[in-house]
Amino acid sequence: MPVDAELLDILACPNCKTPVKLVKNDTALKCDQCHRVYPIKDDIPVMLIDEATVEQD
Amino acid sequence: MALFERNDDQFRPDVGSQALSVIAIENDFVEGVYHKLAKVYDVLFGPILHPGRLLALRRMRIRPGDRVLEVGVGTGINTSLYPYTCQVTGIDLSASMLEKARQRVARKGLRHVRLVEMDAARMTFADDSFDIVYASYLVNCVSDPIGVVREMRRVCRPGGKIVILNHFRSANRVLSRLDRALSPLTVHLGFKSDLDLPGFLAQAGLRPVSIEKVSVSRLWSLVICVKE
Repeated sequence: MPVDAELLDILACPNCKTPVKLVKNDTALKCDQCHRVYPIKDDIPVMLIDEATVEQD
Repeated sequence: MALFERNDDQFRPDVGSQALSVIAIENDFVEGVYHKLAKVYDVLFGPILHPGRLLALRRMRIRPGDRVLEVGVGTGINTSLYPYTCQVTGIDLSASMLEKARQRVARKGLRHVRLVEMDAARMTFADDSFDIVYASYLVNCVSDPIGVVREMRRVCRPGGKIVILNHFRSANRVLSRLDRALSPLTVHLGFKSDLDLPGFLAQAGLRPVSIEKVSVSRLWSLVICVKE
């Protein structure tokens, strides 16, 4: 089950506390402020700074 | 202080600053222990901890549409207990435990449950996001119990419930010493046996509306707080 809209509404970047958005065909969540990308593994968003990658647009 | 079943000499004035346990643990250690426990957790701890889980669910009085956050969802052993009419979010720091939870949620078709890997002491939810925030058998398993409960309070809406089911250090003098002595050993099973309840609540800034002992053994306490 993909990340639903209500969960997306309340999730924030653990680094900036700002909203995140779905990217990469809904397989990751990205923070526009710090450019960290949080993977979604087996439908589970991994909201840990250590597990994120930094990807500029 | 009738809620605590404690003598005055045990409920000391330094309750707000005293050490809560003789044991300090780090997140990496906790993750390591639960990675090993993931495969056997349900068999090892499932039945003995179940009466508390059932009582907690009853006391929560979940209403249709309630947003429930389970902190430390683990293998998802609670997930099938929630009514289908509420919306459950489960978080855990252990990817191995969450994988078990994911399998369980998929197997049982629990469409009202979603899972997120997250540090409970640094939650990434907005303030006031949930009606009920629940932690079963968690707060003595984490490196920063006060940090976790402060976060539970933050993400709970005003008037919402914070529900904590846990073993705390016994109020009985002999058992209390036993809890302290065993804690360096039980930590390898994933928990500290000597977390001090009055100190814990005072330092977390929580005022319980009820505290009740769970099951015949009375080893566990169910603490319910309402966010003001």
